[in-house]
This record gives sequence, C-alpha cells and structure tokens, in this order.
Amino acid sequence: MEKGKISSLQMAFMLYPTIVATAILGIPSVTAKFAKTDFWMSPIFASFIGYLTVYLAVKLHKLYPGQTIIQYSEQIIGRWLGKIIGFLFLSFYIQVTGLIVREYAEFVVDSFLIDTPIIVVMASMVLLCAFVVHGGLEGLGRGALLFIPVFLIPQIILFILVFPDLEFKNIFPVLANGVMPPLKGSIVPGGWYTEFFLISFLLPFLVDKKKGMRYGMMTVFAVMATLVIVNLVVLFVLGPTTSSKVYPLMNVARYISFADFFEHMESFIMAIWVVGAFVKISVFFYATALGTAQWLKLTDYRPIVWPLGIFIVITGFWSISNSMDLERYNVNAFPFYGAVIQTLLPLLLLLIAMISNKNKKNKQSNTTDAPMK
Amino acid sequence: MKWAAFLSTAFIAILIILYEWPKLKQKSAKDKLALVSLLLIGLLLSMFHLQEMAGPTSWIEAFFRPLGEFMER
Repeated sequence: MEKGKISSLQMAFMLYPTIVATAILGIPSVTAKFAKTDFWMSPIFASFIGYLTVYLAVKLHKLYPGQTIIQYSEQIIGRWLGKIIGFLFLSFYIQVTGLIVREYAEFVVDSFLIDTPIIVVMASMVLLCAFVVHGGLEGLGRGALLFIPVFLIPQIILFILVFPDLEFKNIFPVLANGVMPPLKGSIVPGGWYTEFFLISFLLPFLVDKKKGMRYGMMTVFAVMATLVIVNLVVLFVLGPTTSSKVYPLMNVARYISFADFFEHMESFIMAIWVVGAFVKISVFFYATALGTAQWLKLTDYRPIVWPLGIFIVITGFWSISNSMDLERYNVNAFPFYGAVIQTLLPLLLLLIAMISNKNKKNKQSNTTDAPMK
Repeated sequence: MKWAAFLSTAFIAILIILYEWPKLKQKSAKDKLALVSLLLIGLLLSMFHLQEMAGPTSWIEAFFRPLGEFMER
C-alpha cells in the first residue's frame, strides 16, 4: 500500500515537531495551574509514559514486522475484536486531528488573523496537509527534514534574545508543597507524550528498522529537554503569573526588546507554530488515512485522503463551540483518553501477543500433531 | 440545517469525485464504495449544527468525568 521508505532520522524529525509544536504554547500555563513554580519538572515526570509508549510500539512491531497496529491487532485477538480495536484507534486519530486543527486555527485567529473566519484557516490547513499525505510518506519525511531548521532556529534565537531578561530567582521555592503538584501537573503533558504511538504507523516503512527504538527514545528525550527549557524560560520571565496567561510563550516573545531593534518577536512564535502544526497535522492525517485504508482493506489510501479531510474539519467543530470548551477537553479528558488508547491498549495487546506466542511454542514442542489453536 | 455549510461540502465532494474518479476506474469496486460512502457520511454530518450538538468529543468528556473532576480540584 505504501511504497515509500523513510530513514529513522526522518522519523525522529517527523515526531519531534508533532509533540513539541502544540505542547510549547498552551501547556506551560496549564501545567503551572497545578504545579505553581515547579512546573518545569512536570515534562520530566511525564516523559516516562513517552518512553513506555515508544517501547511498546517497537516491541509490537518486532513481533509483527511490517505491519501497523490496525493490521496486527486483528492477528493478536482475532478478526472482530481486532476490528473493534482498529475502530477505536481510527476514531481517536480522526477526532484528535480535528481538535489539533481547531487548536491551531484558534491560536492563529486569536493572535493574528483576527477578522478571518475560523473555517477558512482550518480548511486551508487541512487542504495543504491533504496534499502532503496524498503525496505519500516519503514526501512527508523529506518535508519534515526540510522544515526542522525553520522549527528550531527561531526557538534558539528567541532563547538567546530573552536571556538578559531572565530572573533566575523565580525558580524558588523549589518543591514547596512536596512532589505531588508537579506530578499532577505532569498528567496533561503526559497526554501529549502518548502521541508517540504514532511511530507504530511509521516503523513498518523504515529503511533501517534496527535504529527505530534508539531514534524513538532519543526523540522522547529531545522533546523532554525542549519542554523543560521552554518551561524554565517561561518561568524565569513570567514567574508565578504564568498560569494566568493563555499562551505564555507568546507573552515571553512580546516581552523581548533587545537593543531597541529586535522587537515583536511573536512572529517567530508564529513561524514555529505554523510549521510545527503543519508537520503535526500531516503526521496524524497520514496515520488516519493509512489506518483507515488498512482497516477497510483497500488497495490504496490516497483516494480516501480527501473525505477524511472533510471528517477532520467536521470533528474540529463537533460539540466545541469555543476555545474554552477545547481547553477543558484538553485538560479533563484528553490525557486519559490518549493514555487509554495509545498506551494501555498497546500494553494489553503486547501482553496477549506474548502469552499466545509462548503457548504456541509450548504446543509445538510438546505435541507434534496438536491443532494450532 | 445549515445550507451554506451543506452546499459548500457538497461542492467539495463533487470536486473530489471529479479528481479521483479517473484514477479509481481501474481499481476495485471496494475502493470506489469506500470513497463514496465516506463522502456521503461527511455530507450527512455537514447538515447539522455540529458546534452545539453532542458528539464524540463531549461523549469522551462525559466518559472521563470522574478523572476530569480530579483535574479540576
């Protein structure tokens, strides 16, 4: 179905913006609500679920090489239960993609294109991503590789320019209320880390499959480091007021005034956000399209990219009337929903697969003519 | 019923059919059926006032309500 191949470096560069793009904007303030001045620790705690998710995805792929979760779930627990698991994954990915598109558009409309109808921003982004997905995985991988400097360099410039304004004493008090507040704060970023399960849709197409695990783990670490640095910068500039901002990194960028010349750095944030959201939506969209085609056992995923685009825009609107609804969903439901679908379900599948494989081997060694089931 | 949304979705659906049909001709009937039925579901959904309607997002939020309350505390 997919004839393209990607390298594991391209996979890492597809996943890095996928997690970081939306996590650096809204998440610091959400985490700060729970963890106060300790919110820079939360991404470290949260990253454990990321390592676990990558481990599960790679282990499952080792047992069933060349297949995605949609295909091997049918082999592990039978056709009909497997179809149900596949449906859970697909409905999850379609809905999450819709919400990411909405989140992207809410930010763009809120901060920059104030008079533009939100549907225009959403539909144009989905159309662009649909073209990329239609072009295949190879184009997406190369695009991600090409865009990574556009994503990273503005961040580095931003951190250099904001350096004179950092108030390092904002970090105190450290762990004033014990370790529980940063742990609770890590629940929401944890939901973002579970999105690493997307590598299940990329691993079958790696050229160097052996490096999959290493690059996946390295990406989790890179995401963790980025989030910790972003949270520390936000904390050093905004201090305890972080939790009252919607997009704290935007406030940090607006704060910069370097040599009376470098001002209005929010356009940098915009660049990071648009590029990151583009890669993120494309990767999710690709997983959705490939998964749906495999679920329906089609010969090609390309034709159904377009109707799925319509689905994504529709779920971006469905039962969300404003950005408050979206944020409440992202805090109250998404971290748990993401962990159940993308970490718990794969864990269950892996356990069942390992047990049934062991039984098969025992039967083969004990009896030669026993039926295989 | 929102006519503007429905009509624009119908217009997009026609464009998609026109674009994909020549390539789909040599493929199996299943591929064609999948494309058309997905488009029809999309078209059906575009007829409603989705923003105020209960949907997957609000069902999931209701399902995880106990954990959501823990987050609000």
